[in-house]
Amino acid sequence: MPLATKIAWSALGVLVAIAYGLSIGGVIRKVMARIQGRIGPPVWQPFIDLGKNLFMRSATHHGVMFILGPVFRAAGGIGLFLLIPVIVGDPRFENFAFSGDLLLAMYFLFFGSLGMALGAGEGGHPHSPIGIGRGLAQMSSFELPFGLAVVAIAAQAGSFSIAEIVASQQGGVLHWNLFANPFASVAAFLAFLGMNMYAPFNIVGAPQEIPVGPPTEYNSQFLSLMMAGRAIFAVAKMVLYMDLFLGGAHSIPEAFVKTFLIYFWSVFVGAVFPRFRTEQAIRFFLGWPTAAGIAGVLLVMFR
Amino acid sequence: MTDTKRTLPVLPPAPPEGATPHAPVDDACFLGERPDVPKLREALATIKNWFRANSLWVMAYGTGCGSIELRPLTTARFDMERFGMAMRPTPRQSNVLIISGYLATKSLKRVIRSYEQMPAPKWVVGLGSCTINGGMYWDSYNTINRLDLYLPVDVYIAGCMPRPEALLAGFSYLMERIKKGEANGWHHYLENLDWYKENQKKLITDWDMPDYNW
Amino acid sequence: MDTILDEIRTRFAVTWEHEQRPDLLQVGVEPVTVVPLLTWLKAHTPYVQLTHMSVVDWLEEGQFQLTYLLTDPEGFRSLMVVTRIDREEATAESVWELWPQAVTYEQEINEMFGIRFPGSPRQGVPFILEGWDDIPPMRRDFDTVEYMNAHHPSRPGREHTDPRTYVGKVVGEKGYLHD
Repeated sequence: MPLATKIAWSALGVLVAIAYGLSIGGVIRKVMARIQGRIGPPVWQPFIDLGKNLFMRSATHHGVMFILGPVFRAAGGIGLFLLIPVIVGDPRFENFAFSGDLLLAMYFLFFGSLGMALGAGEGGHPHSPIGIGRGLAQMSSFELPFGLAVVAIAAQAGSFSIAEIVASQQGGVLHWNLFANPFASVAAFLAFLGMNMYAPFNIVGAPQEIPVGPPTEYNSQFLSLMMAGRAIFAVAKMVLYMDLFLGGAHSIPEAFVKTFLIYFWSVFVGAVFPRFRTEQAIRFFLGWPTAAGIAGVLLVMFR
Repeated sequence: MTDTKRTLPVLPPAPPEGATPHAPVDDACFLGERPDVPKLREALATIKNWFRANSLWVMAYGTGCGSIELRPLTTARFDMERFGMAMRPTPRQSNVLIISGYLATKSLKRVIRSYEQMPAPKWVVGLGSCTINGGMYWDSYNTINRLDLYLPVDVYIAGCMPRPEALLAGFSYLMERIKKGEANGWHHYLENLDWYKENQKKLITDWDMPDYNW
Repeated sequence: MDTILDEIRTRFAVTWEHEQRPDLLQVGVEPVTVVPLLTWLKAHTPYVQLTHMSVVDWLEEGQFQLTYLLTDPEGFRSLMVVTRIDREEATAESVWELWPQAVTYEQEINEMFGIRFPGSPRQGVPFILEGWDDIPPMRRDFDTVEYMNAHHPSRPGREHTDPRTYVGKVVGEKGYLHD
């Protein structure tokens, strides 16, 4: 496939991922509303919010880094998405996967948050650094079980290439890493709860406490860029998890079903749990999830 | 009042001849009222206004007892989220400022700050009779009697206190007005900034903030 | 209770006393006696907590009535120490060294009634009002309606009714609700 065609397909993939991420956000709001006995917003509400923020007439910024914050976040999401093969064996949706891309993907997972930290810090609102401090603390704690799980999976497949990890899981449901290495999967899926920042790990945004945390000062067009970045970031994370633990996808419907299930694992947990404080969240992640991650590595070592 | 449009209950005097207006005309304002706006831009403005009306983010700031009637709106019984409305805790992300009930002089200063920090277009809803004519606190030494002297009010919701149903009715009225391009209080505020600032400074004697809070 | 009251009677010049409830006693003293009495109460009786400080403006008698509400946190009973100070001079002794929370009460009383507490911190620092330039608003000779008319223009067309006459008209010939 010529490079230009590949770029065109990848760009289309990014657009679809943004749309998918936004609509999944709408479904989440609807589900949350139904759980709370409300009617809830229409499913396309995130699109309206995005458009509304785009059509705000004035925007206030606080400096170059403030503008770059959402850009970094969106770049992190898009970069992560572009590294991960979405559909196995389909050159159109393989994006720009290469050997060793898992390491870069893990870096991109946290790149956006670091950019946001710099940008929101320049906003100058006291709630922003509080949210950032909490977010980075929580992030570095769930990174440990997630890193252990990734190490276990990579050692099991004998490669740091996502495409090869997906290839090593083919041949039936029981070959998926979810069943082949259940300990690593437990560690990674518990870390996913923290990654998505739903309850009980939503101390970062912490509505009603430090109003919205890092994006307190972000308005209008910055906010819409951040919403789009968040959407594609969520999709990229789901696709990464699908590739690492659920054996990838062979067709687009399969990819939709699997990513939906992965995301709703965190939504259903979030719908029924209260919020952890930062130190509780850190203790949680350094407890059982880390133990499960170590067990996953040991399982690979002594197989 | 002779003002039949009910948009701006108090009309400040017209700006003097030759004065430069503070605000440029937005294509989303004055739908159908301005023949010099091309049809295409007007159509675009209609689309923009539809988006704005269907995603009203309300600033979660209660000035008086009326804010107790705002809380039920987020619950299952009234559920304002089905209209796309949500509470935002920061003025930077909100579009609607609700003055809920009586407004103390001290609060007025904070309200002005918050209002000016909101991105345009923005709308003000006066809730309860206190914002209209002082209500039962008309003779209190530290509450204002007329909100529209200090901020441009787009919709008043009368009552002491109005029930959440009345609030929802007021919000749907506001949405209608936004879609029609009639809710231009923010534009009016910028056009007549001097008049509003004069009124504000008459009341706030220790003005220790910038003239306009970006 | 009675023994404490007896001791107060013996030690200090009590001008009047009144038992409002079995667990709420009021003791009136001269202004000079207030601080010694409160010091003694805090040191030797269970009334160790200053729960409230309040002021009543007796305009006709030219006096301010200062009330210190002390609470016995274990016995669930209260003692009010009441004193009257001159309205023109409007100076009282500060109790903030006994109870630090009195600073806030004294600051608020200073702002709302214009009573001075020499030595108390934060006197004259704005508590609620910002940029207030009239007489303190809680004094009874402060005309709030006049102030409102001067500062806050009211909307044309609003009618004001005096609640007492309006309710009286509704209720009937009595003229007011309660006798």
